[in-house]
Amino acid sequence: MAEFHTEVFQNEFLSEGATDVHAIVTVTSTGAGTAGAASATGTVAEIVMVDTSGSMQGPNIDAAKYAAQVAVDQIADGTWFAIIGGSHVAQRAFPYPNAPVAIVQMEPGARREAKRAISLMSPTGGTAMSTWLRLADQVFSQVPQAKQRHAILLTDGKNESEPREELSKAIRDVTGRFQCDARGVGARWEVAELREIASALLGTVDLIANPSDIAEDFRQLVAASMSKGVADAELRVWAPQGAQVLFVRRVAPTVEDLSTRRTEVNPLTGAYPTGAWGDEARDYHVAIRVPSKPVGSEQLAARVQIAVGGEVLTSALVKARWSDDSALTARINPEVAHYTGQAELASAIQEGLAAKAAGDEATATVKLGRAVQLAQETGNEEATSRLRRVVDIDDEEKGTVRLKRDAAKLDEMALDTASTKTTRVRR
Amino acid sequence: MDHVVSVACGSCGTVAQDGSKFCEQCGAPLTAPVAVAVPPPAPSTRSCRACGGTIAADGYCQDCGTPAATERDHWSEAPSASLGGVCDRGIRHEKNEDAMALGLAGDAPVLVVCDGVSSVPDSDIASLAAARAARDVLVQGISVPSGDTTRVAAWSALLVRAADAANNAIATAVGDLAERHDPPSCTFVAAVVDGPNVVAGWLGDSRVYWLPDAGDPIQLSSDDSGANELMALGLSRAKAEASAQAHAITRWLGADAPDIVPRTAPTVAQGPGWVLVCSDGLWNYCSEASAVAELVRTSQEVAGPAPEKIAAELVRWANEQGGADNITAALHRIEVVHGTATVDTVHS
Repeated sequence: MAEFHTEVFQNEFLSEGATDVHAIVTVTSTGAGTAGAASATGTVAEIVMVDTSGSMQGPNIDAAKYAAQVAVDQIADGTWFAIIGGSHVAQRAFPYPNAPVAIVQMEPGARREAKRAISLMSPTGGTAMSTWLRLADQVFSQVPQAKQRHAILLTDGKNESEPREELSKAIRDVTGRFQCDARGVGARWEVAELREIASALLGTVDLIANPSDIAEDFRQLVAASMSKGVADAELRVWAPQGAQVLFVRRVAPTVEDLSTRRTEVNPLTGAYPTGAWGDEARDYHVAIRVPSKPVGSEQLAARVQIAVGGEVLTSALVKARWSDDSALTARINPEVAHYTGQAELASAIQEGLAAKAAGDEATATVKLGRAVQLAQETGNEEATSRLRRVVDIDDEEKGTVRLKRDAAKLDEMALDTASTKTTRVRR
Repeated sequence: MDHVVSVACGSCGTVAQDGSKFCEQCGAPLTAPVAVAVPPPAPSTRSCRACGGTIAADGYCQDCGTPAATERDHWSEAPSASLGGVCDRGIRHEKNEDAMALGLAGDAPVLVVCDGVSSVPDSDIASLAAARAARDVLVQGISVPSGDTTRVAAWSALLVRAADAANNAIATAVGDLAERHDPPSCTFVAAVVDGPNVVAGWLGDSRVYWLPDAGDPIQLSSDDSGANELMALGLSRAKAEASAQAHAITRWLGADAPDIVPRTAPTVAQGPGWVLVCSDGLWNYCSEASAVAELVRTSQEVAGPAPEKIAAELVRWANEQGGADNITAALHRIEVVHGTATVDTVHS
């Protein structure tokens, strides 16, 4: 049985008249077990979506097919699974399109046949990812007993065969139905498109520069999926009467603003989706605005809870205490400062690259300069080294940079996709 | 029924199990326990003081997030329909160093309030021990026959004994802390109401007011305080009470008390009214007897006739004014005055 624990990092002291309470809540799950163990009972489903558009012709399709076969090897027996080939239309590769069922449970025979089916996939046509997502949703819906649903989507190109809005609409329609990790191979896909998919479907987005690395990535993704023993947990945030939830943000392992994902539990409590959990730790940044109280008063500003199947498993208390002791109120909690910086770092990188793409070099220089500064301040060395491939740094502390004239498209995309990855505070 | 003498924590009032060395509730040492005849009053409800919502298991209101008061931080007592009080931490202080103990000596209401000296650590232990010990002496009553003119004198003498018992209880409760350079200490004020007679005794600046429905309200006690000494020197009350030394009390209970014989003062109720015993957490916001009378009257309009409800309203009001100190208000209603003491004497 999985156990969740919470830990709160905050400075609860507020100066007179102050209203905003910030806290980092670390949620740790232990004993989550593995989905593999649960899959024997048929509660886990996995779908792999491989881009089979014409652009995949060559090493990409060969690598993708091999990776899909590696994924199939990783899927535990008993897990419901299907393979989808996607171009401007989506087609089930396995179970075969003429099969009487759309999804089957893994067993040695099915594994052998699925790998054969994958080897027969061939690239042709355009790219309309909305059709892929909708087909995956349809297939998953065949197994309502499978509560834990995970998909992998791999593409090498832009979503060029349909209006952008079609993709967004499909994403909205399937949100909450399954989780999806999105992967782009090469430098011709659109980071924003895959980020939108992964973000809504509680997955990750990443760039695979070299097709030969797809297999290892798929292996890891499926292994991670199989190690998640809690199908669906929600983060609940209670705030007192008269208070306002300013934002709820996951800040580790990656930055994801959950504020708009709120569903109401009761008028004072909102639930935010977190997807499936293995044995892991995630950090959330919660900001609440409460009416100010007299110096000396104490106030509970938030209860941050994890609920599974409607049952609250753990509850963390975020407090506010008004004080006239500036030694107490002026202190900035290191965790809050760190993640505030990391979230701003993600925005600075994304906005800087967007400005650069739009030809606004002045804004790009300022934003990426700020990113360099923040990466240094928050000790995010990975971000610094990715930034170095895109800008020349004159002064790291002041954030003075020049845009590299010859920055590789791949390096920019790598910087963009990794922008939301955070480092943890050293405690 | 067996007569059980329970041991209560001097810090938070929780009744300890026999043989315990530390309080299960607050962890305070129980090496020098306070003996009480009955467990301390349970908090009246688990509803929120601020909004009336329900207190969750985590100790905060489910609706407004206000922390639940601990038993030591906030409690009320109502030994009879005409007697009740509330003792509250206020807002600015970390601890509630005020204490209150109410009881009945036969029909005679007993009201005791002690205000722990906040500049001295552990004074919350001293005040609770003192208030309960004094109350326990006073509820034994006097043996002078009803109607005897010496009853008031007997009550006055009992108040002196009560202060002495309170001082001893402090010594027992604080143990070795009494040796400290600044030993735990507190004020003492008590009132007993015997028919139309109201007798007050005090050390320090906690007060007794007599607030008749008709006629002039009075402050029955007279503060042993810097402010009063300044007024004796000719300063106005407002100026004296605003001065830096205003709250320096000149007499108190505790190991370093210069003199533990309370001054006493009686009065005779000529008609219905309220006896109010309170700490400076209340009267700091409302000092003049006439203003106090008006405040009690308006509080009664809000809260209804029950004394502990009116006391709760007084506490709420003082918190609204800033709650700069601990607040205690205890009230007794004198409804019907069966003649005056003089008339009693004639009839007996």
